[in-house]
Amino acid sequence: MTNDVLEKISSTGLNGIKRAELKRIFGKDGESVLDALIEKQEIFIEKKGNAYFVWTKENYVSHLSQDDPKFKLALGVAAKLNNPNSEIINHIHNVQNTINVSHQINPNIDFKIEFDKCLTESSTSIGWTSFSQIRKKICESKHISSDHFYTLASELVEKHRENYEISSGGQEGIMMRGLVHGFVRNI
Amino acid sequence: MYAYELETNPYPSSPTPTEKDARILGGKRHKEAKSAILECIKELSQKVSGRDSNDGDFRVITLIQDVGSGKTHLALHVRNLQNRHNTICTFLDLSTISPKTMSSLYNALVKGFEDEFFVQLRTKLLEYIRDRAEQGDNSAKKALDYTFIDRLSGVTIRQEAEDIISGKKPVSVENLKKFLIQWFNHYESTIITSIITNSFDSVENLEELLGRITAISKLTHRFLGKIVLYEIDEFDGNRESIEFVKAIINAHIPASVLLLISTPSGYAEIQGINASVFDRLEKANYKIDLAGSNSVDELSEIVLEYIKYNDKKGKFKQQTQEDLTEKIRVLHDEFPDFRSVRSIINILYHAMEKSQEFNLEKIDEFAIDETIKHAYPGLKVRGSIMDVPISDFIKIRKNCNNEDVGSQLKKAVTNLVNFAHEMGNIGKLEKQNQPLDIIYQDPYGAKIGIVVVINQNHSKNFEEISNVSKSSALVDKLVILTNTNIPSSNSATIVNMDKSKMVDLIYFDSKYTNHKIINSDNEKAQMLAKTVNII
Repeated sequence: MTNDVLEKISSTGLNGIKRAELKRIFGKDGESVLDALIEKQEIFIEKKGNAYFVWTKENYVSHLSQDDPKFKLALGVAAKLNNPNSEIINHIHNVQNTINVSHQINPNIDFKIEFDKCLTESSTSIGWTSFSQIRKKICESKHISSDHFYTLASELVEKHRENYEISSGGQEGIMMRGLVHGFVRNI
Repeated sequence: MYAYELETNPYPSSPTPTEKDARILGGKRHKEAKSAILECIKELSQKVSGRDSNDGDFRVITLIQDVGSGKTHLALHVRNLQNRHNTICTFLDLSTISPKTMSSLYNALVKGFEDEFFVQLRTKLLEYIRDRAEQGDNSAKKALDYTFIDRLSGVTIRQEAEDIISGKKPVSVENLKKFLIQWFNHYESTIITSIITNSFDSVENLEELLGRITAISKLTHRFLGKIVLYEIDEFDGNRESIEFVKAIINAHIPASVLLLISTPSGYAEIQGINASVFDRLEKANYKIDLAGSNSVDELSEIVLEYIKYNDKKGKFKQQTQEDLTEKIRVLHDEFPDFRSVRSIINILYHAMEKSQEFNLEKIDEFAIDETIKHAYPGLKVRGSIMDVPISDFIKIRKNCNNEDVGSQLKKAVTNLVNFAHEMGNIGKLEKQNQPLDIIYQDPYGAKIGIVVVINQNHSKNFEEISNVSKSSALVDKLVILTNTNIPSSNSATIVNMDKSKMVDLIYFDSKYTNHKIINSDNEKAQMLAKTVNII
């Protein structure tokens, strides 16, 4: 059905097709196909007047470049950026690198769950464990950098202050009050 | 006069607690920890009551928490209570002993007892010898230096003993030793001699140290009917300390409780250095948990307790307490530096001094601001773009939960848009069009609409956001500023307004309205406008 839906949308060209029309043709099942295609960014939806219109990716770009002056302008600027040595391109690469690093951890994995699991596994009878032990486990299993781990851990501990307690000491950890806080526990 | 009409500053100024400071103990968790220690003492005390103590009458308690969380304070507080709980206590701070030899550790342990303890024990021991002498024990009489001539001259054994107790006469050390060796073991005899003669010899080896400590505990239990609490602070990975503690645990000192105080870091060091000691600590009879000792509730209770204790005039009423608690909460939330008992007590000490200097009735925002300026000059409000002074921050943040904060923020955002317009960051402003609060054009001519949806009731926020989203067709871009955490949608950009953004906006608004925006504020205000998606 996905191919049929895509074919139908594609066939409407730059004008797009009303979502309501698609629903009429493909019924309720078509709705879930549309959602999946939106998720994959294979189709795009925009409100025109009172109705929602649907385009394929290529048709949508063409539609915007014809009807939207701002988009046309932006496209022109983008064309100038084709030079791989341009400052903006370099900046974009830098930003992309940063984003890539920050998303090395699988977004499906909740850091908190993983952190709590490691904390429970490693702690002594009084509940304390070192950040370094948790860091080793998470960095190895999730392939994230140590810096990234501590960024996430700092955010987590700060966000859930009522759930975690940290303690100074150790060789690595979270910086607070000018001290390395290398120990953590759940409370 | 200090704030709340106190005659003295109730807060201690020393970086570590003294016994005098430790008379006051605040905070639910600290009080619970105290109860747990006393419970252990009570249990052992009842167990050994009316019988001889043995090596099964030994308990280990661990107290492990971060630096500055009040562990030492708690230990000293319990020490102050010793007379009320049938206990004799010695406090040993391992960090003050170097090198940690058997002799120096023993001396420190002995010094850790109160002088009064040895006076009591000396009296009881001499009374014991007196009783033996009165029952006809000649060696006891000799120990008291009670002679035939004394008897002829009408001096009684009791009088002789009284003179020794009061220090008028000495004992015969040689005869005392001969008497003691019949009834006590070697170490007990040595300790009794030391106590009666007020002269403690040094120990040469570990066996001697343990023998003497055991003797102190046994004699204390036998003659005073009390158990001994050994408080050992700053226990960490130091090898000598570990060996010393291991020996004490293995010796099972009768009628004694060993309270070991450490940090998680120290505990981890012990784990790495000596698995055997670590295992013993893991199996401690009681593990005192100060979890949450640095929570805002605990810190507030501790802060209030000091004032309550010193409030002889009853001026520290409920409303005033709540007012101070609110300030503590802001300090705790915004400054990680103040999230420990030690640091919050320190700031309160300085604030109290400021209250006296400026003749303030209470610790207000001004006192805290002045304190932070002087005691923590580099400290800034976390995440504040406008560099809001701490006093203003506390005042504004306090009102952030009020119902009318939404209208304040609408006004603030309107003024920020006006400011951005004056600075040339945005195009022309347009007439307000309900339900949008502000409409303007960006530099490219796109129409931007801003709506502020700030309510304490989040379901009301969802409803309002849903309604205003329908108006997205009126503008090219709709920005919704809200305190409800929801993601942006196709129809609107959502800007989450946390407390620091709200405070920044209200602070900006106040300056803008009063024409107090100076050049150095321009860049900050523009940055603020960017963070709320105005420019």
